[in-house]
Amino acid sequence: MRRSHPSRATAWVVGYLVFVLAPLFALLIGTVGPARDFWTEFSAAIGYAGLAMMGLQFGLTARFRRVTEPWGEDVIYHLHRQLSLVAVALVIAHPVILFIVRPNLIGLLTFVDAPWRARFAVLSVVSLLVLVMTSLWRARLRMRYETWHHLHVVLAVAAVVTGLAHMVSWGFYLADPWKRALWISLTVFWIGLLAYVRIVRPLFMLRRPYTVTQVRAERGDTTTLVMEPDGHDGFHFEPGQFGWLTVWGGPFRITGHPFSFSGSAEAGEGSVEMSIRRLGDFTATVKTIPVGKRVYVDGPYGAFTIGNPADMHILIAGGVGITPMMSIIRTLADRHDNRPVILLYGATDWESITFREELDKIAGRLALTTVYVLTDPPADWTGERGFITADILRRHVPPPYDEHEYFICGPPPMMDSMETTLSTLGVPMSKYHSERYNFA
Amino acid sequence: MRRTLADRLAIATGILIVLMSAMFALARVAA
Repeated sequence: MRRSHPSRATAWVVGYLVFVLAPLFALLIGTVGPARDFWTEFSAAIGYAGLAMMGLQFGLTARFRRVTEPWGEDVIYHLHRQLSLVAVALVIAHPVILFIVRPNLIGLLTFVDAPWRARFAVLSVVSLLVLVMTSLWRARLRMRYETWHHLHVVLAVAAVVTGLAHMVSWGFYLADPWKRALWISLTVFWIGLLAYVRIVRPLFMLRRPYTVTQVRAERGDTTTLVMEPDGHDGFHFEPGQFGWLTVWGGPFRITGHPFSFSGSAEAGEGSVEMSIRRLGDFTATVKTIPVGKRVYVDGPYGAFTIGNPADMHILIAGGVGITPMMSIIRTLADRHDNRPVILLYGATDWESITFREELDKIAGRLALTTVYVLTDPPADWTGERGFITADILRRHVPPPYDEHEYFICGPPPMMDSMETTLSTLGVPMSKYHSERYNFA
Repeated sequence: MRRTLADRLAIATGILIVLMSAMFALARVAA
């Protein structure tokens, strides 16, 4: 959480709970059927709360900057995943409790003979289970990311719509027309959030295309795309932020790819750069993108941006994690900002250090110290070797450690290890910022 | 670390929602 947004983070949590619990407690107002035993009522309550949580999952991934800013986009996606497990637990506990206290209801599981109100429940739970299993085990199931993404959206809508159909057709708590209207409107709102991301935002992006003006090969199997706004002013980003790039198939294509901006935020005329390393199916196609190609960039997003000018900035990059750091360094140079910056940069070998020459050149315009840490150094290498560790950090960063600002971007093991190291050195969480490429 | 915070937040949210659901049930039974 960034220091500047603690009140927004609190409002976020309170707002989330209100959205889940208010529609539940609204059921107690007006006409209510005769009270049943505690466990039946409890089971009904967690069923309603579970559906509300499932619906709000659409909001977490709707790319609302005000929602994601206090936490950072990758944390929101992580929360999306963790909260979905809580919602699934509630939705599954709902029938399990009912079957225990009212065993006669188990008969409703015979799908063919069961009434539709029970069939909807089975369809909702099955959709939800398949949705969670394909998300947790996508790699093990060898599912392509795009296929999984399509399935994820279809199953999420199916789970919520059939869950609502189950509630409405069961009707115990939704006998009053206004309560039915409330829950149906809520569902329309949740699915509307999905429509916003998949239809409204793409329509907006369609009117704001970009043109690739340069495709530059970089060291380390990395390609830089320079993109200029086509017929509009573009947007302003802060160094370290990222955008969703869609290259093939237009903005309605479901799968965009998140990449940090690597260029200076002061580049002017709305120009943006992304430097993309070949790591998978999509990234392998980047170097084949022709100059003049029309692309779409949705952004800027992310809370990984430069902090207090009085603080020393420690940038810790692993591999292609250098891209947001490059944006920070280039921007500071363009702004003639002389705050002290130490870059700890982990790479495989000397030849694959992306932006090596530019870092050497730009050091003269900044108070920048670069420390390369190589896992496969040349024979005559006298610098740091291996992975970036607590010892390397202590050797190059002067104390007091808790007075600097830290920016970490790289492979997950490096990030986990660095976050633990900083915590051990007594650096408060508000003083370090992490950017993970893997949102899942 | 922020992910750890998110994990704790998800667990706390789950516990709160279960407690409030129990309150809902108690309110119904007591009414």
